[in-house]
Amino acid sequence: MTDELLLSLDHVAVGYGRRVILPDVSLSLRRGSFTGLLGANGSGKSTLLKTVLGILPSLQGRMALNPIDGRTPVLGYMPQRESLDPIYPLSSFEVVLMAACGRVGPGRFINKSEHGFARQCLAETGAADLAAKPFSQLSGGQKQRVLMARALATRPDFLLLDEPTAGIDAHATQAIMGVLKTIHAQRRQTILLVSHDLTTVRQYAADVIWLHGGKVLHGAVSELLSRDKIEELLDLEFR
Amino acid sequence: MDTLREIFSPDFLLRNSIYISLLVGLVCPLVGVYLILRRLIFMGVALPQISSCGIAFAFALQAWGIIPHIHESEHSLAFIGSTLFTIPTILLLSLLVRRGSGSVEGRLGTVYVLAGAWSILLLVTNPLGEHGLLDMLKGEIIAVSDADLAGTAATFGAVVLIIFFFRKEFLLVSFDRDMAITLKKNVIFWDALLFLLIGLTISMAVLSVGPLVAFGFLLMPPLIAHLFGRNMRQFALIASGIGGCSAFVGFCVAYRLDYPVGPTDVALLGVVYFLCFAAKKLWLLCRHEAVQQS
Repeated sequence: MTDELLLSLDHVAVGYGRRVILPDVSLSLRRGSFTGLLGANGSGKSTLLKTVLGILPSLQGRMALNPIDGRTPVLGYMPQRESLDPIYPLSSFEVVLMAACGRVGPGRFINKSEHGFARQCLAETGAADLAAKPFSQLSGGQKQRVLMARALATRPDFLLLDEPTAGIDAHATQAIMGVLKTIHAQRRQTILLVSHDLTTVRQYAADVIWLHGGKVLHGAVSELLSRDKIEELLDLEFR
Repeated sequence: MDTLREIFSPDFLLRNSIYISLLVGLVCPLVGVYLILRRLIFMGVALPQISSCGIAFAFALQAWGIIPHIHESEHSLAFIGSTLFTIPTILLLSLLVRRGSGSVEGRLGTVYVLAGAWSILLLVTNPLGEHGLLDMLKGEIIAVSDADLAGTAATFGAVVLIIFFFRKEFLLVSFDRDMAITLKKNVIFWDALLFLLIGLTISMAVLSVGPLVAFGFLLMPPLIAHLFGRNMRQFALIASGIGGCSAFVGFCVAYRLDYPVGPTDVALLGVVYFLCFAAKKLWLLCRHEAVQQS
């Protein structure tokens, strides 16, 4: 079951408008995999993630999200917290409840079971006590927990996280990665984690996609993040 | 007290005026909430002016003999002119804002000043419509027919119902457009519907109370409510409540002192905003002191 392909990209070019950032991406992800997407600032990590999510169209090539039990996989997206405007007077609970929009049609009310599930997701990420607090007034780590709860509340088949540990302290990083590790272990959740933190990816992910100089390297953490390979890549970069 | 007794008496002559003030006061803030949240305050300034320009243009077409003069058709003509100018403009401006290219404030400023200039030019070329239009621009809410009131109430009722039933979709595409896309929402449709409602509300409000008052009720009650609302429901209800109360009190004050209603409403909203802002600052200061002492 977990050997089934969930995502495949075949010579896909990604970028904004006419600006190509990654000209040729070919890779595939299995169901139940935990993959880290690594790269320096501006290497195209978030652009690739947004293309996979369908937020940006691919400029060329073929991308396919393979159906699960005959239906399109549900994507759970955790954006960078800075992308959300703090002017919105939303409680953390309201932010998580937005995830129900994927299941509750337009004009229909969100029922009590969805409310309960949203609270359950907040509890799962250790943010139950933040439910009534204004989202804009939370600390960086607290916001990340709430956004992760929102991503989980979509009941995702594929969880995609954009820099979930950027700009937060070591304790909060450990807590967030701990939740991800548990979810992956318990549910065989497919996870794609964007990060520029090599240590985090090495510690938690099994596979890695490394964006390096416009090229895309894809392999197991044990081989791609081995000392020799990193030295080889970094040496290339310095030259 | 005498003023209130007079206003509540069944044969009060300006009964429709107070109803229309209340409708504008209650509904405009509900739409204005989205202008504040989407940081489109300048659009709230420019659009009522565009709407006025549309009304002036429609009346000018009639004065120039391009469209025929039909008895008691002024309100419908003004509504068509206002809507035809406002809705395409809001859709175009929102598209440009979404693309993020160029200076948004520059474009809105240009639209505002051009619409203002053209409104005046169209007004002076149209002696027939000059008097009524000037009253409208001043915010004189005096002569409101039963038909005008019914039309406004029906339009605002429809706007409130649509905003209520689709609030979760409007909130999602406004707050996190990317997530809306991942949840397979048609963001272009929901954006267009929201801007259509904003455009329709502005057209109707300008027609009823003039651009100054429409702008005042679109933006000031939500700005006041933003000081206190801790979630979206509170934010929308407080904004609408402040708008409705200010419209009623403003009307009473204007009637008592024989002032024009529109400017009185806006001036009152200014006082409420100042008092609420000061109260919030004072409360924050007291809380800070209490935390430091403990």
